[in-house]
Order: sequence, then structure tokens, then C-alpha cells
Amino acid sequence: MRKIYAYIISLIFTITCFPLITKGQDTIDFPLNIRLGIEAIGPVTYYTDKNILSTEVYLSADLNEKRSVMLAGGYLDYKYSQYNYEYFNKGYFVKAGVDFNLLKPLKSQGRYWAGIGFRYGISRYSSQVPSFSVENYWGTINSSLPLRTSWGHYLEAAPGIRTEIFKNLSLGCTINIRMLLYTGTGKELRPIYFPGYGLGGKKTNASVSYYLIWNIPFRKIRVIQQKEAPEETDEEGDNTATR
Amino acid sequence: MRVYLYFIFSAMILFSVSCAPQTCYENTDADVKATFYLESNTTDTAPTNTAPDSLTIYGLNMENDKLYDKSFEIKKAELPLNILASACTYVIRINGVNDTVGFGYNSYPYLISKECGYTYFHDLNPDSLTYTTHKIISVSVIKNTITNLNEENIRIYY
Repeated sequence: MRKIYAYIISLIFTITCFPLITKGQDTIDFPLNIRLGIEAIGPVTYYTDKNILSTEVYLSADLNEKRSVMLAGGYLDYKYSQYNYEYFNKGYFVKAGVDFNLLKPLKSQGRYWAGIGFRYGISRYSSQVPSFSVENYWGTINSSLPLRTSWGHYLEAAPGIRTEIFKNLSLGCTINIRMLLYTGTGKELRPIYFPGYGLGGKKTNASVSYYLIWNIPFRKIRVIQQKEAPEETDEEGDNTATR
Repeated sequence: MRVYLYFIFSAMILFSVSCAPQTCYENTDADVKATFYLESNTTDTAPTNTAPDSLTIYGLNMENDKLYDKSFEIKKAELPLNILASACTYVIRINGVNDTVGFGYNSYPYLISKECGYTYFHDLNPDSLTYTTHKIISVSVIKNTITNLNEENIRIYY
């Protein structure tokens, strides 16, 4: 009998208190997505300059409303020629990292993103200088550098934005700020350009990328919005619960 | 929200196409930088970096192509090394008196930048340095790596 009373009291307590706990707290259903994207600048650049073919695809998955993990890969076929040398570089790159959404869930709603990503990239490439010439007081020497294969490593910070233009289709843009860790070639003959990083002669590098992205929703989570503290409160116990 | 993001997109597009092609601003010549020091008649005074009154420099057997021809106020001369060989000799005429200075070295290609291209740097072999002493008293190697930077490589005391 005592147990029955205890049960009834617990039930009454639960029914009456639950509205008090949730009353005044905003919650939204936030969609989590898997995203498949393709970088758009590379093919456009190849259309205007056949000497640079650069492609990149990426895959990301939302962990929650603020973080997502990403994995990207690409291919580069680069040729450069000027009056005193020619340069070829061909290879692949892979990069992985985490993206952080700085927009509040109510604003982003799973459709908009403004934040920053941090990645580590690694490239495997082959470079060659078929011809170069150096002229001085004693005469002109024409020479070449043989094909060599190397590994390059770099870090990347990528602030950017993404917006949904049609249902499940987004446009994204990032400014990629890269720091070179290792070219694999030595200081004398560092690569002019290598996959994933860009101009290899510099310790830091910046570029812009544009992505077409297909969003695949896979789950919804309930996010409790944090309410701002009111200036004057008459009531007590206005708790903000975080998930 | 969408309007703001489209605006930012447009600005980024303009930024990405606004970059102009670069030009080569760096020095592409890796020459031996030779400074001239006048020895004092007194032993307690250190030699000073003093330009000869008249300086003429040309490669051995290249008298018709002078690097410096009776030049004055030259405290530091730049002497290119022969990339087609591993040794070269210069005739250096200081105040009308001829001497020769010979260098031995090994050369290797070096990328200056994408805009400038490649050049050759050299490692001087101090043991291969030879010189005559008609006007020149001595030659010393300060830095044996010859690059395109403005660094003193040898001192010629006269």
C-alpha cells in the first residue's frame, strides 16, 4: 500500500512538474547532415587555363549542431612555362579535419553555416623541370632536373560560409590559410606548386575555394536554446539546461 | 540571412579574381662579393674597407669583356663564377697593377621563386683559392656559400 501511495505521488509529481521544467525553454529540432561536395573553381580554372587541372571532392558529417568532421581528396596536374624554365607537377592530396559552426542553432537551422575548419593535409606528387637556363658573364647553361616523387605535409585553417540555395543543395565558400610543414624536396629545389597546398615556395599560402554541396539529412536532434538572462527577474528558478 | 551570405559570396568572388600576376623582384645572380681592404703602413692600425683609386676586373682570356673598367669608388665587387666549369680565374688590376685570383667550387641549382626561376649557387673550396701578390697582399674567405644575397664572401687586402 505504501508503495502504491509512493507511486501515485511520484506520478502526480512528474505530471505537474514536467511543464515547469520545460516551460519557458526554447527547443528546436536541428537536422544533422552528411554532405558530399565538389570544388568548383578547379574545373573553371581549367576551362580558362589548360595548364592547371585541379579537382577536389569532400565528404563531411555533422556530429552535432556545432561540429562536423570532414575528409577531402583531390588531384592536380600542373604545368608552368616561362622564358627561362618549364615546370611540371602531378599528384594527389588528402586532408581531414573538423569544422566548427559559429552560428546559433536557431539561425543556422542546419541550412546555413559560418565558421571555421581546421585540417591536416598530405600530398604525394611527382615534379620535374624539363629545362631551365641560367645566363651570366661566362655564358649560358641549359640544364634540366629529373623527375622526383615527394611527400608534402601542411596545416590548414579554413574560415567560410555555406548557404542552402535549393532543398538539400548548398553553395559554400572558404578562404584556405595554409602553413607548410614539409615539402619533401629540400630547401634548394622546393616545389613551385603541389597538390592541396598551392605555391610551394612560401611557408604560408592562401586561396579561395567554392563548393557545390549535396546535403543528405540523416538524423534530427533536439537542441535546447540557451535563454539570455532577463534584466529584472521576479521569479526564481529560471534554469537554462544545456544538452 | 541569405542576403547577407550572398553578399559575402560576391565579395569573395571578386577577391579571388583580383589577384594580379607577380613579377620577379629578387636578385637572380649568385656572384662572389669581394670587398677591398687597404692595409695600413703601421702595424697597429687595422685594414679599412677602402675602394682602390682604379679598379679593372675581367675573366682570364676575356679582356674584351670587362666587368669593371678603370672604375673608382668600388668598395665591393661582384664576381660571377663560371657555371660551365668547376673553376675560374679573374684578372684584377688595382691602381694599374695586375693580379689574378682563381676560385675552385661546386655548383648546384636553386629555385629562387616561381617568378624568377632557377639559378646556380656555389660552395667555394677555400683550399682551391689561388692569387698572385703583385698588388694584392692576401685574400681571405669570409663565407664560402655563394648565394644571391648581399653577403660578403671574400676580402682582398692590398
